[in-house]
Amino acid sequence: MHGEYKMPGGKLVVIDLELRDGDLAAVQLSGDFFLEPDSALHAINRALEGRSEHADEAALAAAVRDVLGADVMMYGISPEAIAVAVRRALHKEPAA
Amino acid sequence: MMRTDWRDHDWQLIHTAPQSPTLHMALDDVLTHEVGAGRRAPTLRIWEWAAPAVVIGRFQSLRNEVDGEAARRHGIEVVRRVSGGGAMFIEPGNTITYSIYAPQSLVKGLSFQEAYAFFDAWVLEALGELGIKAWYQPLNDITSEGGKIAGAAQVHRGGAVLHHVTMAYDIDAAKMLDVLRIGREKLSDKGTVSAAKRVDPLRSQTGLPREAVIERMVATFRRLHGLSDDGLRADELGQAEALAQTKFGSPAWLGDVA
Repeated sequence: MHGEYKMPGGKLVVIDLELRDGDLAAVQLSGDFFLEPDSALHAINRALEGRSEHADEAALAAAVRDVLGADVMMYGISPEAIAVAVRRALHKEPAA
Repeated sequence: MMRTDWRDHDWQLIHTAPQSPTLHMALDDVLTHEVGAGRRAPTLRIWEWAAPAVVIGRFQSLRNEVDGEAARRHGIEVVRRVSGGGAMFIEPGNTITYSIYAPQSLVKGLSFQEAYAFFDAWVLEALGELGIKAWYQPLNDITSEGGKIAGAAQVHRGGAVLHHVTMAYDIDAAKMLDVLRIGREKLSDKGTVSAAKRVDPLRSQTGLPREAVIERMVATFRRLHGLSDDGLRADELGQAEALAQTKFGSPAWLGDVA
């Protein structure tokens, strides 16, 4: 499943994922955003893994925010934008 | 750490013979590290490409961005760079690429948006001298009346910041679209791709050979900020060659975002 969201004033945020028994699995965040340190990418993927397919945007954004250390820099991407991309992937909406 | 100015630093120029795509990726890694460690003075590096390449951003999905079969058919190597941002389609002579390796003090206190524009102010001036009215378009683009000219990306490492930019000189749009999976939304970003066979904002708006545009850019940097001619040290090249082989040429790095 695939979802895309062009963050207003930001970059393209893409989520690819699968559903296993109603939970998010094989979550992959990608896009042309800026994120440092780059290890934060895999931390975000892990934070979304296993979340319920019914989790709303606020819950998904909170899950992402919780794993981001104070040293993480985001430019053109945000926890909220990632949450929107996840919801779009789950709703099978057409690519943004 | 005090904020520094361009003129507080002894800027060095590296502009060597063409190098392979993976070596370019590795040189950015090594030279950023060297400047951060204080072993190299702040440096401007102009890239020359030995082979065609697609360079994808640090966080781009390989399968979503690149048609691997088309890349193989065209003999185009696909590499992943250390910085975020979007994919670049490179053929020798079709783009102008440069890297700035700077101490973080140069952009201390600036927002990301300000720092991107700060690092390319000299380029806007050079383009103006060449008769192109160009401006910065946040977050990370240089654009003009003739369409988007360039995309920039930054990475911060230790005490250094890498700011690198690829400018479209004269790109074969059909081949680019064959190899890159660019969504319709992104198309409008890449200039007038849908209408034109070539994306050539620098060639068409200057009427100058690529080398002459580079010469003007270097002269403008030299006049504004000072610039001494330099080269790669043997140990820098050695480190980069090793990294090109072990990291940047590896399937694990290229497929890190599958």
